[in-house]
Amino acid sequence: MTTEELEKLLDEQPVSRLHRLARGRIHRHFRLGKRRLVEALLRCTPENRPGLESDLHALMQEPLPAPPVVAKERRPAGPLPTRPGSQRNAHPGHAEPTEPATDLASFLEGIGVPAPHPFVPDAWQEEAVAHLASGDVIVSVPTGSGKTYVALEATRRAIAADRTVIYTSPLKALSNTKFTEFSRLFGPDKVGILTGDRKDNAQAPLLIMTTEILRNLLYDAASGEIDVRLDTLGLVIMDESQYIADPERGVVWEETIIFCPAQAKLLLLSASIGNPQDVADWLTSIRPSPCHLIRHNRRTVPLRAGYLHPNGKLSPLFRSVSIPHGQGGALHPEAKRLFAQYEEETIRPRSH
Amino acid sequence: MPPSIHPVDLINALRSKHLTPAIVFLTSRRACDDAMQAFERSQVAIPPARQDAIAAVLTELVAQYPSIAEHPLQSVVQRVGVAAHHAGHLPSWKIAIEELMRQGCLDAVFATTTLAAGVDFPARTVVITQSSVRKSRDFTDLAISEVQQLAGRAGRRGKDLVGFAVLTPSPYIDLSVITKGLTGQPEAIDSQFVISYPMILNLLKAHPLDQIQAILAKSFAQFQLNSRAEILENKLDTLHVQMEPYGPRVCTDWIAQWQVFDHARKQKAHRIQVKRHESPELTARLQFLTPGRVVGVPKARGIVLRQYRSKGQKQPMVTLLRPGGAVTECPAGTVTQVFDKTFEVTEAPVYPWCTPGCLDELTHQANDLPVRMPALPILVQEEPEESQIVQTLNDEFPCPTCPSRPACQKDHAGALKLRQEVHRNQKMIQALHTGLWHRFQSRTEILQQLGYLTPTCQLTEIGEWARLIRIDHSLLITELIRAEAFSGIEPQVLAGIMSSIAHDDDRPGAFPRISPGLASLLGQVRHLAESLEPHEDPPLLRADIAAVSERWIGDPNLTWIGLCRLTTMAEGDIYRLLARTLEFLSQIHTLRGTHPGLADCASRAIKALRRGVLEELP
Repeated sequence: MTTEELEKLLDEQPVSRLHRLARGRIHRHFRLGKRRLVEALLRCTPENRPGLESDLHALMQEPLPAPPVVAKERRPAGPLPTRPGSQRNAHPGHAEPTEPATDLASFLEGIGVPAPHPFVPDAWQEEAVAHLASGDVIVSVPTGSGKTYVALEATRRAIAADRTVIYTSPLKALSNTKFTEFSRLFGPDKVGILTGDRKDNAQAPLLIMTTEILRNLLYDAASGEIDVRLDTLGLVIMDESQYIADPERGVVWEETIIFCPAQAKLLLLSASIGNPQDVADWLTSIRPSPCHLIRHNRRTVPLRAGYLHPNGKLSPLFRSVSIPHGQGGALHPEAKRLFAQYEEETIRPRSH
Repeated sequence: MPPSIHPVDLINALRSKHLTPAIVFLTSRRACDDAMQAFERSQVAIPPARQDAIAAVLTELVAQYPSIAEHPLQSVVQRVGVAAHHAGHLPSWKIAIEELMRQGCLDAVFATTTLAAGVDFPARTVVITQSSVRKSRDFTDLAISEVQQLAGRAGRRGKDLVGFAVLTPSPYIDLSVITKGLTGQPEAIDSQFVISYPMILNLLKAHPLDQIQAILAKSFAQFQLNSRAEILENKLDTLHVQMEPYGPRVCTDWIAQWQVFDHARKQKAHRIQVKRHESPELTARLQFLTPGRVVGVPKARGIVLRQYRSKGQKQPMVTLLRPGGAVTECPAGTVTQVFDKTFEVTEAPVYPWCTPGCLDELTHQANDLPVRMPALPILVQEEPEESQIVQTLNDEFPCPTCPSRPACQKDHAGALKLRQEVHRNQKMIQALHTGLWHRFQSRTEILQQLGYLTPTCQLTEIGEWARLIRIDHSLLITELIRAEAFSGIEPQVLAGIMSSIAHDDDRPGAFPRISPGLASLLGQVRHLAESLEPHEDPPLLRADIAAVSERWIGDPNLTWIGLCRLTTMAEGDIYRLLARTLEFLSQIHTLRGTHPGLADCASRAIKALRRGVLEELP
């Protein structure tokens, strides 16, 4: 989008939307009128224009720009209303939602330890392992939803088929954790770890290393100085592969994927990212076998969001019990009130 | 009310709602440590049974990681059941905290937001206290993916039915960033492909030059560039469709033809306007109206004193000396006759524009002018008439008489804009397709200049060993080796230099003194780094950092505690510094084929470095 187009688009927006866009971008944006706001927005983001545009589009998706809650609830120092009922009535302009907001009791309901039951893998986990037989797999699912199971099961099968498995992580600390974990699961003789200067059990079928070490191995293999059995390599697991977007180290992930031997399958484990399909398409375009993408946003353990006031009062953060997806502004009235009160007190502390 | 909740109150509030164990993400290490101190001062203590459980886990770990036993925070953690976990701690201590957390012995862990990726243990609750995170000296809002990374730690599989992300405000929090992060879709990721020197050397070692472009084309970077190019190509297609009505007319390239014609027409018109301003007679006359010239004006004559262009009037002016001594100004246009007669004038910069003596002389002369004087014959160059201009345009261009002239004139603006758009898009597509390759080529040229590559892009002898150095600042290190800076070097000095190259953190601290040998070598390194600056960003090369490694390697009796006392760096930072130095040294060690002395020195340094705490982890 050119500057003129963007300027025109910004001009068309209601001023409240511009203020939301300016939040965090322009100091004291609430002081500016529409014209100056547009100018300031254009001036302040020459290098992050795409960010501004995507935020703008996201804001335009929202049906009505809700009136800025905080500004509205801020009022001169005085006795603050405490009953949520009266608080809600004080905002005739606020659109009354259809469903009543959840209460704290139902928000906190269900805390506890699930009854122990035999582990049954989810369908997507089975799917991922199954697809590894025929090609590469990318798993982009929320943190903590069981990516490790896929890695473990795939490793187990590869070892059973007498293939070598390489597991890479971005941090040495994570490598160490995984080394301990895998040694416990597969037995210490089956797991080796490679660092820059040390090779522990380098003949083991499962080797753990940082991505940089694997890249160096592949360099050596390409120039004919081979010291690890790359011909028996059956599976390369790259954990935390969203690191491919790391400004300093991302290139190492790309090189590793490019130079990864054709007979080895790639398993990329990633946290939720916006464009896993792009990565999958890329892999399909450069690798001999098509890449299967597994992505979803469901969490194994449901997540709820709460708001804890500094006085120790807890409230749900959103109107619904679970976290709503893709719709901003559905804050719980109690959380809203408490946050407004907090801002009131921190911005203009009472003098005594 | 305090600006943010007191850590003890926070944990108590969570405990009372059965929301523990929790991970509390705080802004800085300092905040984590402060929270721990708050617990240390408080009278909180967990039941003895749980204290024993913590002690049992820790004792088990001490067997593998002896440094845990002497950790100063051990007793506090045991008493209060919470711990801090951040990059300032030793890896072994962090492992201990993670293990305690995994076994459910702790109520809470205070961690920094910056290291969310390194926090690989779940809890029932995650507490988020701020909406921005410090990235290279500046605070930036948390991205959606970062918020989800934080919140993702909540809810342990098999141990919790639900997980909680609890927001507790602190100053400068922006609620919308967090809510957007919790509800939104994570951002798309972009390739960060950079072409480094070791990459070029290793690529050229394994593949001939003509294959390199194909290899680069396999990168995610090129994939993304291609998809951007594809969008542009689609745009280009629609542009071509829009261009269709503007296809070839009487002339094939009528857009360019019309553009040139239009330009010429405007140029001519411009010229005519300027000339029209002054009549050709006047223009011809002006060059004779020099000081001393006798001219005739209606009903009088005079001697020109100066010619000038008045600021207020557009026309040229002359200053005349009239008979009788009057000095008057009049427009040059009023001059009717120019006589073939001049007088000597000594000019002056101010009124009366000549020296007083000269003025007297001229006044005298003006009074005695002869009645008749010969007029100067002035040739007037006739300006070409407008019709003539049109005639030349007609000769040069077919447009004025062309049957499609009205159509061209009408369509030209739109067609030209479209065509420019097409050209711009074509250029951009070209740049997207070849950008990566050009970057590769320009870096290759540098390597050729420095002698790592032959002009035909083969590895030279130097390139053969230089490709084994695959770390940051590889160019500086290989150049140092080539300059023989490390010949006969002591292991501790080599380690000192490597750590000053490896360390990229500019947080200040007070550190031990540096030895004179290391200091002078560091000066040499600094000098070389500066000269390489156009090709590679120079490292910080901090002397105090070099001294830390030098001490640790040079003095085998120095204990870890002793080293920590020498500096104000956090334990974790010293550990990371030494671990990174180790990485660099092991790269030097790979040069044992070509530089046996240096490799041996590096391996001695590695041996000396790997002791105590640094031996605990592979």
